[in-house]
Formats: sequence, C-alpha cells, structure tokens
Amino acid sequence: MVSNEKDPRRITAVLAVLVAVVALAFGLAACGGGDDGGGIEGGGGDTAAEEVKLEGKPSGDVTISNWPLYIDEETVADFEKAAGVKVKYIEDVNANEEFFAKMRPLLEQGESGGRSLFVVTDWMVAKMKELGYLQKFDKSGLPNFEKNLVDNLREPSYDPNREYSAPWQSGMTGIIVRKDLAPDVKSICDLFDPQYKGKVEMLNELRDTVPLVMKCLGIDPEGADEADWIKAIDKIKAAADSGQIRRFTGNDYAADLTSGNAVAVIGWSGDAVQLQADNPDIEWRMPTEGCILWSDNMVIPVGAPNPTAAEAWIDYVYEPKNQAQIEAYVNYVSPVKDVKEVLLKEEPEVAKNQLIFPSSSFTAKCSIQPSPSSEEEQNLNRAFNAVLNG
Amino acid sequence: MRRRVVPYFLLGPGAAWLLLFFVVPLYYMGKLSLESGVVGALEFDWNWGNYSDALQLYDAQFVRSFIYAGVATLAALLLGYPLAYAIAFKAGRWRNLLLFAVVAPFFTTYLIRTLAWETILSDQSPVVSVLDLLGLAPEGRALATGGAVIAGLTYNFLPFMVLPIYASLERIDVRLIEAGKDLYASATQTFFRVTLPLSAPGVVAGTLLTFIPASGDYVNAQFLGSAGNQMIGNVIQSLYLKQSDYPAAAALSFVLMALILILVLVYIRFAGSEALMGEEAV
Repeated sequence: MVSNEKDPRRITAVLAVLVAVVALAFGLAACGGGDDGGGIEGGGGDTAAEEVKLEGKPSGDVTISNWPLYIDEETVADFEKAAGVKVKYIEDVNANEEFFAKMRPLLEQGESGGRSLFVVTDWMVAKMKELGYLQKFDKSGLPNFEKNLVDNLREPSYDPNREYSAPWQSGMTGIIVRKDLAPDVKSICDLFDPQYKGKVEMLNELRDTVPLVMKCLGIDPEGADEADWIKAIDKIKAAADSGQIRRFTGNDYAADLTSGNAVAVIGWSGDAVQLQADNPDIEWRMPTEGCILWSDNMVIPVGAPNPTAAEAWIDYVYEPKNQAQIEAYVNYVSPVKDVKEVLLKEEPEVAKNQLIFPSSSFTAKCSIQPSPSSEEEQNLNRAFNAVLNG
Repeated sequence: MRRRVVPYFLLGPGAAWLLLFFVVPLYYMGKLSLESGVVGALEFDWNWGNYSDALQLYDAQFVRSFIYAGVATLAALLLGYPLAYAIAFKAGRWRNLLLFAVVAPFFTTYLIRTLAWETILSDQSPVVSVLDLLGLAPEGRALATGGAVIAGLTYNFLPFMVLPIYASLERIDVRLIEAGKDLYASATQTFFRVTLPLSAPGVVAGTLLTFIPASGDYVNAQFLGSAGNQMIGNVIQSLYLKQSDYPAAAALSFVLMALILILVLVYIRFAGSEALMGEEAV
C-alpha cells in the first residue's frame, strides 16, 4: 500500500457516491411505482383455477419436493420401476413459511421451479389455494386416493372435496418429556409449573404452540377468536419473561431433550417415536387437555411439469402396500386405510404403536389444527414473534 | 489517451459486480421498504410508516444487537491482539502453523461451529460446572443466555480480528522498536508509543470486520440464546421468512445499515482516520 495523506475529500466522495446510490434507488422506485404496481401483483384474482390435464400413461421425468427424512429409501425406486417414470426427489421443504417465501415469486409467474408436486401443511394449502397457486386434480387418475383416504380427512374446511390436496402424513403435537427428570408432567398446564423453570421448551410455530396453550386455558382452539389467541400468547409471554421457558425451538428440541437441557417440551409425535426408540428415558405424553392434529399434503402447483406423473405418484402412495413401506420408516400417522392390517403381519411393533395408529379414544380430546383468518394472521404473527424475539 | 482508458478498464469488472449485486438489490429493497399491504398484494405507496414502525417496535433489539456486538468486538480485541502479537514477534518457526490454526475453524461451516457450542455449554458439561463454581452461571446454566450469545459471536469472529492485526504487526520495521529502546524507553513505553500506533490500522480494520457482521448476525442468538437474547438479525429473519412481512423486513434492514454506517463513520472519525490513512508506510 502506498502512503496516503489524510484526505477529507475522499470521505466526502464516498458519502457523495452513497447519497447518489440511495437517491438513484428511490428515484427508480418512484418511476417503477407508476403502473406495474411494483411488479408484485395479486394472484388471488384468477378465479378459474388451473386443472390437471392427464396425458395417457405416465412417462418422462417428474420432480417431487418434500420435507427431509419423510420417506423410506426404497419407495422412490419402486415407483420408478412400477410407473416407468424417472423421479427427481428433493428434500427442500424445511418450514412452510420459508418454502412459501422461496416459491412465491415463481408461483406468481405461474411457474413451479420445475417441481411437479410438493408437500405443505394444511394451513399453507389453504393459503396457496386462495392465491390460485394450485392445480385442481383430475380424479380419474386417482382411484386409490378416492378409495383409500381415511374418512376423517375427507372434508377439511379448506378443501371440502379434496380436489387440490392429498394428505402425505398426519401427526400430533403434544408433550415429550424426560420421564426420569420430569415424571409428573402430564398436561400443557404442567409446563408452567415453576418446578421446571428454565427446563421447558416450546415450538416456535404459531399454530402448534398457541392452540395447545389455549387448551390449558380452557379455550377450544377450533372456535377461537383473535382475543383468545392473544390471551394464550400473553400466557406464553409471561412464561418466557419469567425464564420458565428456556427457549423456542424447531425440532432441535431433540438435542436438548437428549442432553437433559430440557425436561419437557412441546413436540411432534413422529419425532417422539424416533426419540423413544433411541433413548428409553424419553417419552411422549398425550396432554390431558388433548393434542393438536395436523396433516402435510401433496399438492400440484401451477406450471407443474408432467402432472400426469405427479398424479401417478399420489395414487401409488395411496396403495396400502406401498404406504405401509413408507409408514414403517417415517412413523407419523398414515392417511391411508388398511395400512395397519398390512403392517400387523410385517411389523407388528409399528402397527400397535398408538402414536402411529392412534385409536379414536386416544385422540378423543384432540383438536384439528386451527388457522387464523388472513386478517388476524398478521396481528397474531406479530404478537407471537414479539414473544419469540423478546 | 491510453493512460486515461486503462484505469476505467480495470475498474470495469468490479464496478459491474457492485452494480449488479449491490446497487440493484439495494434498489429493489428500497422500493420494497416503502410498500404496504400483504404478500401477493403489495403496493408501492411511499409508506414511510414502515420505518417509524421499525424503530418503535424493535428498538430493544437494536440496542441489544449493538451491545452484544460491541462487547464481542472488545473481547475479540483483548483476546486477538496478544495472540497476533505473539504470532508476529514470538512464534519463530511456529508462525505459519499458528496462523493456520487461527484459520483452521473456517474449514468447518459457521453453522456447525456454532452448534458445537451447544454441546460445549450444555447444562451437564464440565465447562458449565466450572462456571457455576465461579458464580458465572446463574441458575446453573450457560446456554440460552446473553453470555452464550456473546461468547459465540466472539469465537466466530475472532479470526477476523487476529488476521488484520497480525498483518499490520508483521510489517512493522523492528529497527523502530530497537530505536525506541536505544532512546531509553521501557518495554511498556515502546509498546504504547511505537508498536501500538503502528498496528492501529490493523486494530481498526479488525474491529470493523468484527463489529459490522456481528451486529447483523442471527445464528448465534438463535442457537445459543433464549427468547430475551434475540438480535435484530433474528427479527429481520422472522419478519421475512415467518411473518412474510417483506416491507417491514426491508425497512428494518435499511435502518440497520444506516445505524451501522453512522456508528462506523463516528468511529473512524474519532478513533480511526489517523490510523487508517496515517503514517502507515515508512
């Protein structure tokens, strides 16, 4: 480096450039704001939804997007052989909101980034359907789905005829404890017991954590209004401020449970099956108030290449024998009829597990995962994230 | 004629890069930060309210971010300067090995290194028992506290402090230090009157390279902190990815950028301009 004299002109020049850049940015913004509405337009206006057009026998390539560790290792290869289709299976859905943020600009243009099918949770299906991002199924390509979908998932409020979404797996949100360190935690209300101060964790998901806390307050989440949500959020905030709640997590609560950093958490049933198998001290507890029930669903987005093969995939996994193979690996709740019967012969352990094949008495007090309306959503998100980010 | 063209030609690729990956995104972000409405139906309407909201709703997280980043920068300086000094003057033939050791953590990704601290500071770990004995772990834990976040920041940005300081120390002409001693200055006096001023450019560069990214960091707070320890980066991440409130996230990013710029300008004005542009060459 060559020696420089201290030169105020340089600083001035740098500042001038910065000012120019900012001015340019806003100047351009002003022009852009004119007629194109900022380049982002509402997709909700498209009332005529796109429909899947089947083209004979499935063939060619198909890209399927799913959550990580949500399938066994053989099903994809088996499907390729059975259907004569080449599958690119990618695990790039980590969180509904994040996936939505990533996909929205594409879907807005009527494109799916090469994906023929992806998997998102109930409330996200509702949102995408409302925005016109999903294709309507051609049910003539889905005989197994029509026949084998379990009865209690046939008429969800967001898709009453199941024309846009097919459940991939369902699950329960409840409590997971270290039974050696927190033997007495049996209800959501017990999570607020000062005895466990600093050892409790809750999910950083609005629609899992808040409805469960509502149940502790005696509010029915399925009929809750905005004030009810806020009441539960306030309770969570008080617990976070007092240090009762150690932190809010995604499924990294698993590490804290294993190490004993946390002794009782709000968690998901499928994780619990896996954790119980690895560590006999970890146990799922169905909260005395009941659990939250949810499903992740396969959807075919607008602009999806090869929807014929995507429907073939949906129908393939709705064959009980094929579904049993997935189920034995992922351990969530299957949306397909007669899977239990198949597994009773092959893997009776799995078939008898209440977390994988819950009886109706086991889930009697559980609620379907509620979703606030889009007007309420923004306020509730803000309130809940204010707790998360203290 | 040729002499006038060549510099612009050399400037070209860098300028194009900046234009494409800094100015253009900045323009879109600026525009986004003045829009209102919900995703899918955003409208550009000069909504300056995003900016006042950003400052009003998240002032606590701003203050916290700058305190955490400031403390981490100071800690990195106190740890990093002696280390760089030792490597530059005392390490002898171990110098390259030690330098490699400073850079070695970069061979693992940032995320994994931070997650490793979850294990190191886990409640049952020996580290925490020692801290507890010393009274440094209130409630018997180190994880999920502000201290853990600061420790993580310090650890993750330490090499950015050490390397520039090392570079400026290493270039010091030892004859100047000898001259100081010849003029009857004690070792301490020589250090404060000769070595430290000559290494000031490294210190300024190191503190900036630590403070700026640490202020916007969110990984450390997410994994090592609790709800009360989240930084402004966590708020921006949550606004963008969880709440889909893009305008608020963009406005907050601009405010963060502006505040850092102001802090840095003030810092350079009072502490650093001499060091940055001063008597560097001999």
